Amino acid sequence: MRIQVNARNRAFQFEAAAGEKILYAGLRAQAGLPYECATGTCGTCKAKLISGELDDGWPQAPGRKYLKAEGEFLMCQSEARTDASIEVASFVYPMDTGACRADALAGTVRSVRALTHDVSAVGVDLEAPCEFDAGQFMAIKAPGVQGMRGYSMVNWDQPARRLEFVVKRKPGGGFSEWLFSGAAAGARVEMFGPLGKATFYPALQKNLLCIAGGSGVAGMMSILSRACREGHFDRHDGYLFFGVRTMRDAFFLEELSALRHDRLAITIALSDEDVPEGAAAGYPDLTFARGLVHEVAKREMAGRYQNVRAYLAGPPPAVDAAIRVLLLEAKLTGDAIRYDKFS
Amino acid sequence: MARKLICRTSEVPANGLKECEGDGVRLLVANSGNEYFAVQAQCPHQDVPLCEGIYDGSVLVCHQHLWQWDIRTGAAMGIAEMPLQRYDVTVEGDAIYVGSQGAIDVGELFNGIGAGTLQALVQLARREEFAAGSVIYKLGDPAEDFFVLESGRVEFQIGRDERVNPAGFILRKGEVFGWAALLENHPQRIASAKALEASALLRVNGKQALKLLESDPAAGFLVMRRLSGLIARFLAAAGAR
Repeated sequence: MRIQVNARNRAFQFEAAAGEKILYAGLRAQAGLPYECATGTCGTCKAKLISGELDDGWPQAPGRKYLKAEGEFLMCQSEARTDASIEVASFVYPMDTGACRADALAGTVRSVRALTHDVSAVGVDLEAPCEFDAGQFMAIKAPGVQGMRGYSMVNWDQPARRLEFVVKRKPGGGFSEWLFSGAAAGARVEMFGPLGKATFYPALQKNLLCIAGGSGVAGMMSILSRACREGHFDRHDGYLFFGVRTMRDAFFLEELSALRHDRLAITIALSDEDVPEGAAAGYPDLTFARGLVHEVAKREMAGRYQNVRAYLAGPPPAVDAAIRVLLLEAKLTGDAIRYDKFS
Repeated sequence: MARKLICRTSEVPANGLKECEGDGVRLLVANSGNEYFAVQAQCPHQDVPLCEGIYDGSVLVCHQHLWQWDIRTGAAMGIAEMPLQRYDVTVEGDAIYVGSQGAIDVGELFNGIGAGTLQALVQLARREEFAAGSVIYKLGDPAEDFFVLESGRVEFQIGRDERVNPAGFILRKGEVFGWAALLENHPQRIASAKALEASALLRVNGKQALKLLESDPAAGFLVMRRLSGLIARFLAAAGAR
């Protein structure tokens, strides 16, 4: 099917296969269409049908609440049944030629490893290697679950033959229920990606500030992994603030300790309990503090915002609180703050 | 919108925001110290309510994708790609009155230039109405005038005959098109422009506008800076990562 997208500044044409989501077809063709979650929740990829026929793959997608006018639809959920013309009311540019190209890919779940009582690390072996930027995510389809879900890669390899994700158990959440049911190991999963703009690359000559709540630390692991491997902290400072409720909810502490570097400060913020005795002794390379993660970051970062690029991830209220701190206290501008709202 | 009582000063928090409605138009009233400003209520990016945004008394930020604006001028800051539409505000006692600004004053190109030059520019403009489907100019036509959109919607096409492709559209009051008329060595239209809906436009002669701007170099500099930004926005590849 031939898809034509009329954007504010120009038009794009690309082919979409039968059953392929319009957003994915466009991204595959390097059209920088607007999206954020790419999985039906955020509403960012809304567009308007001008001509042609579409099928909506997930009529109950939460992001449909952002649709107002007649003919509006979510590009990430809709497939073309015929050639179609659509309108996107924003400026759309061809994607950066250096950007990793998003495409459909598949893999096999090789391992599900419990990190805490309700968080697991999931390893997927890819059928073909793929390239992604540190901080990006994949839209993943679980068998029998409607729609896809976004999960950030924990690892960073170029190219990667295996992807690692962090999944938090959510009662009633189709994807995590499937994963924690035990049926996942050995299963084949389909994915689309890499996706997301909260990326780190070494040419970025900036100090890094990462603020993550819970499983949001996944993408930060990828960013810090690449930054450490490429010597970024020989020339720049790094700060990670990782918020969890209690020590029982913390994970990746060994992995974070292994990143040890003079110019990388890692702080674990505990919101619901005082720092237990022995935490600091158990992990001498990490700092522990009591408080909500954005408050701990605000306290520790005062006066240290020069030349900072901030990355945020986690539950939306935690990300919003961190954005407020960075805009109002730190006076950072929007271009210095990166996050993808896909949880 | 004619001048209208929109709310009371007591209803707007100090250095805060309040969403109001007048004549069916929703707008956002902002306090900044002793002053009040009024802008469009929804983000020009994706229609997110700006009253939920982050505001420190001078810079307004949409919480959704962090577009930022100077509340005094509506000018885009940081990663924002479009200015905010502003309204004229007068305060009498505790009553805040709001009225519409003209399309040229609102516009991305001329917003913020000195009142005298702005007034002279408005004098140069001729208001024209185009029915839905009518052609404003065709590829190859002489590019003598530029246009400011007052209302409606205009679509551009490039190419000739059967090899015609859409090349974008504009729909916000104050948006400027046909700006080849402000450039040297661009005597002809490089695209066709068509009114997609019934549209009202202000037509301004490019040479006359340039002459006027020459007499006010500060305004001229601002307009040329904005114009180069506008052109870059249409030509640019993906923004800086």
